[in-house]
Amino acid sequence: MGSPANPTESPAAGNAPPEVPPAQRVNRAPVLGDYFFSTLTGIAAAAVVGLSLLLVAVLVYSSRSTLSLFGPSFLWTTVWRPAPANVFGIVPAAEDTLLTSALALLIGIPLSLGSAIFLTQHAPTWLRAPIGQVIELLAAIPSIVFGFWGLIVLVPFERYRVEPALQGTLGWTGLFNGTPIGIDILTASLVLSIMTVPTITAISRDAIAAVPRSQKEAALSLGATDWEVTRTVVLPYSQGGIAAGIALGLGRALGETMAVLLVIGNRFAIPSSLFSQGETIASLIANDFTEASGPLELSALIEAGLVLLLITLAINLAARAYLARSQVHEGGFEG
Amino acid sequence: MSAIDPASPPEEIVRRQKSPGRGRGVYVVLVVVIGLVLVVVGANAAGLIHLYGGSSTGVCGGNVVLNGAGSTLVAPLMFQWATSYTDSTVNYNSIGSGGGIAQITSKTVDFGASDAPLSSTQRGAIPSPGVVTIPESVGAAVPIYNLPGLNAPLRFNGSALAAIYLGTMTNWNNSELQALNPGVTLPNAAIVPVFRADGSGTTFIWTSYLSSQNTTWRNTLGFSTALVFPAGIGEKGNAGVTQAVKSTVDAIGYVDINYALTDSLSYGAVENPAGHYVLANLSNIASAVQDSNVSFPAATGDWYNVSVLNAKGPQDYPISSFTYLFVYKDLGAAYGSSYGMSKAAALTAFLRYIVSPTGGQSQAAALYYVPLTAQVAANDLTTINSLTFNGGTIPVCSTS
Amino acid sequence: MRFDRLGRRKLLSHLATVLSGAAMIVVMIPLVLVLYEAFTLGGSVLSWSFLTSDPPTACSPRAGVACPVGGIGPAIEGTFILIGLAGLLAVPVGIAAAMFSVEYGDKYPAARLVGFVADVLSGVPSIVVGVFVYSLVLLYDPAIVFSTISGSLALAMIMIPIVTRTSEAALRTVPRSMREAALALGIARWKTATRIVLVAAAPGILTGVLLALARVAGEAAPLLLTDGGSFRGFAGFDQQVAALPILIFTFADSPYQNWIAVAWGAALVLILLVLALSIAMRLVLDRIARRMGSV
Repeated sequence: MGSPANPTESPAAGNAPPEVPPAQRVNRAPVLGDYFFSTLTGIAAAAVVGLSLLLVAVLVYSSRSTLSLFGPSFLWTTVWRPAPANVFGIVPAAEDTLLTSALALLIGIPLSLGSAIFLTQHAPTWLRAPIGQVIELLAAIPSIVFGFWGLIVLVPFERYRVEPALQGTLGWTGLFNGTPIGIDILTASLVLSIMTVPTITAISRDAIAAVPRSQKEAALSLGATDWEVTRTVVLPYSQGGIAAGIALGLGRALGETMAVLLVIGNRFAIPSSLFSQGETIASLIANDFTEASGPLELSALIEAGLVLLLITLAINLAARAYLARSQVHEGGFEG
Repeated sequence: MSAIDPASPPEEIVRRQKSPGRGRGVYVVLVVVIGLVLVVVGANAAGLIHLYGGSSTGVCGGNVVLNGAGSTLVAPLMFQWATSYTDSTVNYNSIGSGGGIAQITSKTVDFGASDAPLSSTQRGAIPSPGVVTIPESVGAAVPIYNLPGLNAPLRFNGSALAAIYLGTMTNWNNSELQALNPGVTLPNAAIVPVFRADGSGTTFIWTSYLSSQNTTWRNTLGFSTALVFPAGIGEKGNAGVTQAVKSTVDAIGYVDINYALTDSLSYGAVENPAGHYVLANLSNIASAVQDSNVSFPAATGDWYNVSVLNAKGPQDYPISSFTYLFVYKDLGAAYGSSYGMSKAAALTAFLRYIVSPTGGQSQAAALYYVPLTAQVAANDLTTINSLTFNGGTIPVCSTS
Repeated sequence: MRFDRLGRRKLLSHLATVLSGAAMIVVMIPLVLVLYEAFTLGGSVLSWSFLTSDPPTACSPRAGVACPVGGIGPAIEGTFILIGLAGLLAVPVGIAAAMFSVEYGDKYPAARLVGFVADVLSGVPSIVVGVFVYSLVLLYDPAIVFSTISGSLALAMIMIPIVTRTSEAALRTVPRSMREAALALGIARWKTATRIVLVAAAPGILTGVLLALARVAGEAAPLLLTDGGSFRGFAGFDQQVAALPILIFTFADSPYQNWIAVAWGAALVLILLVLALSIAMRLVLDRIARRMGSV
């Protein structure tokens, strides 16, 4: 960090703290305030964890009939037949959810990171705060507005401009088969990407801004170009924050209901191309919940919510496992 | 700029921590500001609180809060009624017909609204003492489409509509449709059917009609508020269907009549049993109800087969339907001790207002809803008068 | 233009700058388009009385009959109260939970579970949160199932993961050396955590709070199941209250011209309200920072 207080600290903001001989190690005896602090924050942390456990419990309880009836077959059945047939499976919805979220992040992450980098490294200082506010403006747009805007503006644009062009140039990939209608998975993914951008940008911007100037100056003094500074110092240092932003953006994409509903076409089928209509788990629940054909379908819908939770869990676990290998670990007391 | 700036390194903060005592004044200011805001909000709220259980003269009078939920179709009409009816405070959650049925089943609302009558399963799920069915408005489903260049409404019949939604009729330029529309150049383009993805009474009306017109439909798909359509795009809400059709050339969809009339969309004429192609409007829907001459079941009975579809009159619109309210038969037995007689009286007074030709029904036409016919309104009044509170009759409060 | 190694690196750097600028512009485009659409459809109703009047009854234009424009006054009030209460519940809990995770995460690795839980919780669709809160409140007291407090609880539950996760990330960017320096000066752990670390991380935490507020200000699905669909102003915490997203949802779904215009006007007001809130909160934070440091 290079602050005047610690001139000897290593420039690569320490993964492990420097070796300190026992006599010099600071070990403050806890005071009363410390006990209050740890208790209060501990209660808050327990509340957050407890809340999520309660959520899982309520969801499991509400879906117990289909959980016991279908067992794991719910995870590989591909049809959704309300009463009286009562056969429910999650595969198409899960696929659509993963597809739209993946595409949304594929588009959204580069745009967000690019914007965050531009905002913190290259934009003139007087412009930074206003543009930051404008990005947060994007976050304030209600999802239903995005949905209707998508339907009114984006859908015709997709149908007549973008999708035929995609089919013409990239049709060989097999991703763009079928007649473009404009209301399909591609448009839904685009709308989702727009919705995740403010979250990822705002949080990444803060993370990037927190990189100590000394680190960047050190790299510059070694002859790095701006981009190399960004690539080798800024991005690795702010990895944790960026990951948080992406995690929240992903959460938004996975759970977004209203905007997706209006532009995805709501067809419960395994998609054959990006121009197919689809139905994400969130939109499935929203569509069918109040009109469920019976208690079994209601239970199946809740179970679908559980599956979504599982998907989120799995993705986050995988991401954390990947990051744990390389994360620059800051914060916290030594113990 | 000495403020905390995201672009400046945090080390500046350490330098600033010189005099911790000075920060305290800021906290005091903050607390005072927050306190002022709360006081203002509270005062404002107090000004808006209606007379709550204050001086109520007997059963009538005093401000009661009534909650309803259900059909999004009648939401604008409900809001109109809630605004013009000032004897009680009426809240209405437009969460869809199924939501209305769910809420009344769990007794979290005073009345539920639905565009479809209760099925036997739904009736079975309602706890004692059971509900009465009160038709409070009439709706109709019309086919809207986006075919630029046509200068007259397109003609459809039941079998063509069923074929389109079954996915067997795929191109606008086909012989069956052409035969119905001589002299019209139908485009050589794929038909894009749009249906309701969320459950809705409009779907109920539409699929009931298609079931009556096409045996394949009747046998494979049937009718309900939500089913899996074999072809097309699903949209949310009448507004979603409307917008999807507007945005998509060659699309066809079904929406409620008030959407078609207010949005000046192109919608088609449908062939009725008398062989005429009827373009829906308020009067031919009303005549359909009239000519159906429905004999209503008992208020607490099974209304599932009550239908004003395919009315026999010459100019009747064939795809018409009632919308219904559900209220518990005995309000005291249903809701328990917390429900007072004054609330029961308030609820029945509001219901009477709704079905009255000079009260609620007089406001329907301006919003493009079809008012109840005299016969239906009279039947409703009998039903409302039959509601009880713990077995006893509910006093009639005079409405303003 | 030099094409040796240095030249290529410089070119790459310039390219990266341009691309990042392009990304910025691309991000702005949908914002501009959405705002433009909202203005086209709802700009005509904006006025001072729009902000204070009651919602109009539905009406379609007919010859000779003017449609009431009405306003969204009760909905604005309701939204403020709902997100205010939700914020009061969610923000302290979220920040405190994040502080626990960061300050004690080294000693008790289980503490870091909080961030993970927040990530997973942030993916729950808002309608499922609505169903969850509805079920809980139904068990507790059916009379307040549709109430302001119930709606606020649902919104708080959506806010908590966002606030927690962002605060955790912000707190983690504060270098350990700062904590150690404070300890070396003899400052108690809890004071270090609150008066130094928290303050240093304040801008990042504020970003999280604002993102969470912006998110819930526009969520209709959970409110429909917990606050209901009232159009009236605040009448008590156990009563329903109007809210902008519910109003937008109900009015936009209707066929009536004046309602549709009100819906889009309300959307514009909502966006501007959140912007105003965000600017105000950042200003307050600046002011506090200035007070706490050397002026």
